[in-house]
Amino acid sequence: MNKLAIITAFLGGVRNRYMVYQEDRTLEEKFLMASKVEGIDGLELCYPADFDDPKKLKELLEKYNFGISAINFRSRRTGKWWRGSFTSLSAIERQEFVDEVRQVMDVAIELGSHRITTCPLNDGTDSHFEMDYIRAYDYAAETFSKACAHNRQVRICIEYKESDPRTRCLFGNAGETASFCQLVGASNLGVTLDIGHALYTGERPAQSAALLAKANRLFYVHLNDNDGRWDWDMLPGSYHIWEFIEMFYYLGQLGYDDDWYAFDVFPKEIDTVDTFKAAVTLTRKLKDLTDRIDRKKMEKLLEERNPAKTIPYLHSLL
Amino acid sequence: MQRRSEMRSWKFSINSAFLGRRRNRFTEFQPDRTLEEKFKLASQIKGLDGIELKYPADLMDVPVAKRLLKETGLVCSAVNVDIKDAAYFRHGALSAQSPEARNRAISMLREGMDIAPELGAGLVTTCPLADGYDYPFQIDYTTAWSRLIESVKTVVSYRRDVKLALEFQPHEPTANVMLSNVGKVLHLCAEVSAPNLGTNLDIGHSFAAQESPAESAALLMSKGRLFYIHTNDNTADGGDWDMISGSVHFWHWLELLCTLDRLGYEGWFGGEVEQKHLGPVEAYGANIRMVRRMIKLLDNMGPDRIADLMKKDGNIAEIYSYLSQFLVPGE
Repeated sequence: MNKLAIITAFLGGVRNRYMVYQEDRTLEEKFLMASKVEGIDGLELCYPADFDDPKKLKELLEKYNFGISAINFRSRRTGKWWRGSFTSLSAIERQEFVDEVRQVMDVAIELGSHRITTCPLNDGTDSHFEMDYIRAYDYAAETFSKACAHNRQVRICIEYKESDPRTRCLFGNAGETASFCQLVGASNLGVTLDIGHALYTGERPAQSAALLAKANRLFYVHLNDNDGRWDWDMLPGSYHIWEFIEMFYYLGQLGYDDDWYAFDVFPKEIDTVDTFKAAVTLTRKLKDLTDRIDRKKMEKLLEERNPAKTIPYLHSLL
Repeated sequence: MQRRSEMRSWKFSINSAFLGRRRNRFTEFQPDRTLEEKFKLASQIKGLDGIELKYPADLMDVPVAKRLLKETGLVCSAVNVDIKDAAYFRHGALSAQSPEARNRAISMLREGMDIAPELGAGLVTTCPLADGYDYPFQIDYTTAWSRLIESVKTVVSYRRDVKLALEFQPHEPTANVMLSNVGKVLHLCAEVSAPNLGTNLDIGHSFAAQESPAESAALLMSKGRLFYIHTNDNTADGGDWDMISGSVHFWHWLELLCTLDRLGYEGWFGGEVEQKHLGPVEAYGANIRMVRRMIKLLDNMGPDRIADLMKKDGNIAEIYSYLSQFLVPGE
């Protein structure tokens, strides 16, 4: 099975516009919390939050023997890049984005990671006629192209999401993002498939995985769940059991089976450690269920395309 | 005969929470502000008549609020009681299993009911967002609803001279809020059966709940339960984006205003508009301007003329041909 990581941001302060559920924690406290979750192999680190003291960070990684699934580059910052970073109208801001991504690529190599993921949440729009889309795509292509050229050994992954905090983010779904990556044409530019983002934008996650892999853009996977209406970052499989199993099945087919899954799960009123323990348990169970599928039999069923046979077969595995 | 447009008492108010710190899960857009600073900003908003004050945050010192109301000439449109603080209401407020949490929510609402008349308002609003759930099997719906009904009964029986307007919202901060749509609010009102219980219809929440707000308003008014309105808009993708009224749902907004006019709504147009990088003065000023312009447009169209056209079944083509003339004259 793929190794399991937690995104460090979810080990610290958790809040939304109404409530504060968990208070901020130091990097050391975050590592300590993650170490209490059995089955966690590493962390997705967040830049800049986790990089105030690189020496300390290295020490902690060694102390806890944690791997790095990826470095999450924040392209939205409070008080900075207000109207987008890589689509900003300001050439200075776009260059800042390129420079910072390049720095983080160097840091990633130093720490032994070859993956940077970024969720471009603030590059998008609230209202009609707020952004010149044509120019925005040009700027995005130019900045990502420059960043990618810095080091082809480091993969840059765009984590698409339909909305929040913008009513429409620039990269809202798998198709748009794959198409953009192909437009840029850099071999090290690809996609982070966050299953929750795929679900609430109306996708079948397994289908999205297949499309992205076909385009050589399936670089990384985030796990969580929701009710299909919003990005609630809930426990994997709490809503979409079969969507998970189908995605895990296809990830196996597509060769994404010796890599990382990172948990993007929101600990609200439940204790943070308990939340991630449950996430690990549920993920393993979903993977176990997936492994019960006889691939030969499934191939035959997929040829028959008869849900009256396939669905009872799947339920027989429970 | 006096024109109906001249008889309307529609006034505009802003929720004080939208004059202070604005942030979401990802970004902080506006800083925290003192009540003085909030009033100062409110007084700069063109066309604003009133302010909906948040309790407890903005009403820790009631005499200060009174003084600021007097100084700015703004009217207190309602006291908005906040019963969602995670420190107390982590597992629910009015519907919580814990009697302490329930009693705290009830007491806070009653305190709000005592403060409102002191500020010249006859109305308390609240959006019971802590009463919700994320997962299947998380709460027992039957007992949770019984507790919700009992708590609301206890609140409104405290004093009948102050009204309580419950604001529904489909979700957030949980995937499901119990009071999620107009039907559930009407059910609650019927169960409680108190004359001073009604609804604060937030237009954006109604869109997020996949409703036509005009229909929701009509239903509420038919039962005498429409006490207050929050003006805003969104993309109806489920997100409560608090956008400028009419910026997305232009026709729906006109339909709403037409319905309110015909049914004789006499309450406030309160409001919540997320300003993000705009300040509250600019964002909320634009919201008021948009609503006023839509009212003017509606008056030009003539609500009675529209009502006449709607009497004929299958008349959609003629109705839109009529309405669109007012946007672009001619064929």
